[in-house]
Amino acid sequence: MSEAPHTVKSYEEELKNLNSNIIKMGGFCEEALGKAIQAITTRNSDHAESVIKDDEKIDKFETLIEQQVVNLIALRQPMAIDLRETVTALKISSDLERIGDLAKNISKRTLLLNENLPKNLVDALVRVSSNVQKQLKSILDAYLDRSSSMAMNVWESDEKIDDLTNLCMQEVIKYLKENEKNLDDGTHLLFVTKNIERIGDHTTNVAEQVYYLVTGEYLEGDRPKGTEPIVTGEK
Amino acid sequence: MRKNGVNMIKISAKNVDVFYGKKQALFNINLDIEENQVTALIGPSGCGKSTFLRCLNRMNDVIDICKVQGEIVINDFNINDKGCDVVRLREKIGMVFQKPNPFPKTLYENISYGPTIHGMAQSKQEMDEIVETSLKKAALWEEVKDRLHEPGTGLSGGQQQRLCIARAISVQPEVILMDEPCSALDPIATAQIEELIDELKKEHTIIIVTHSMAQAARVSQRTGFFHLGELIEHGSTDKIFKNPDNTKTQDYITGRFG
Ligand SMILES: Nc1ncnc2c1ncn2[C@@H]1O[C@H](COP(=O)(O)OP(=O)(O)O)[C@@H](O)[C@H]1O
Ligand SMILES: [Mg+2]
Repeated sequence: MSEAPHTVKSYEEELKNLNSNIIKMGGFCEEALGKAIQAITTRNSDHAESVIKDDEKIDKFETLIEQQVVNLIALRQPMAIDLRETVTALKISSDLERIGDLAKNISKRTLLLNENLPKNLVDALVRVSSNVQKQLKSILDAYLDRSSSMAMNVWESDEKIDDLTNLCMQEVIKYLKENEKNLDDGTHLLFVTKNIERIGDHTTNVAEQVYYLVTGEYLEGDRPKGTEPIVTGEK
Repeated sequence: MRKNGVNMIKISAKNVDVFYGKKQALFNINLDIEENQVTALIGPSGCGKSTFLRCLNRMNDVIDICKVQGEIVINDFNINDKGCDVVRLREKIGMVFQKPNPFPKTLYENISYGPTIHGMAQSKQEMDEIVETSLKKAALWEEVKDRLHEPGTGLSGGQQQRLCIARAISVQPEVILMDEPCSALDPIATAQIEELIDELKKEHTIIIVTHSMAQAARVSQRTGFFHLGELIEHGSTDKIFKNPDNTKTQDYITGRFG
């Protein structure tokens, strides 16, 4: 937001409120992802169940933010920085909502997983997820601080996540081949990995929005890409 | 004529200073106006928008204490030169004011007045044609064709303003200056004028002063922001309203002023 306050105080309040709802919603997403991963590493199904239950909160924020944005556009006709605040809030909230959904999906699958997963698989998964969690935290900080350089950093590190995802998937595929009896576990783990990667993609979308919000310009060029993703287990 | 990107430059203001007596109202204004585009001038009251607009057809000449310095180059000719024919200049650069000001005469006479002075019609038939095309271009013909000989003052506000626009275009000006042309009109009449402006820019270059930011955003392709007699920022309307360079511009258009 610009340093000077709006002449119309209620308008100022509405924009601040929109901003703080994004921050809150982002906080819930961070928490959901954190718990979803913890549920896998510590085999704690309470965590998984609370992620599934709390997704409703995240969905409600999306609806609320959408209503606030529609009201701002209809009643205030925001311009310049205010316009960018309003439009990016709408887009960011829809990415955050997807992040919530994906965390919920991870948790649902976690509840179906075998109690004793091989350590190397869990470790590979944690390597991807801890990076994604870091990205999500950084981009929410970047939004709060209106920092285009932080947003750019997040955007550029998506590549690393793609690479770690592929490594993790290779491990899971190897496991699948060696343990035909555990087909269910292997399949769930593939989806969990893919979901974590997609959370990373949504985080990158948010990074693009934060960059636009701050600079008024679009991040140019193709998104950084890691190695081609593995879609199936076939060679 | 020079080019600026894709468009030709129709008017170039160079180092323009304006004084009312000892008080300086405009400070070193440099602005290129693109041909066949709508340029909006915005800024708080008293920042000098109207003063600048009046520089473009030497309307400031009629204010005794007003002194204009610098160059206004139109079609490669500096209109502030001694040799400028002001009557011809005002034929080429028409003007529409804030309050619709039809002459207290018939609709027909309101429009035929200009072409008569400038000797543009050789016969009654030719004049009829000028009146008809001008009214058509001003999107008023259908509403008034049966009462051309009734007084112009009997029309609604929006119709009167379109009559004034028809009067302005009757002498085929190259440029049309509009000073808050919709501030006395309701939203429907305003929309009709805005639609008309969009149509008129095909044949004319338009400069509009408006205190409505939303109107500037709707009708113009270029926008200039004035503040305390200075041109703070100018550029594509798109850029000014989405991502202006100057904090003052941003504060003004987002309603954070003063
Ligand atoms: N005829 C005049 N005599 C003296 N001062 C004037 C006259 N017209 C305008 N001014 C002064 O010049 C400044 C710019 O006025 P103006 O061009 O009308 O601003 P705007 O159109 O942006 O509201 C103001 O300070 C105003 O008081
Ligand atoms: Mg004025």
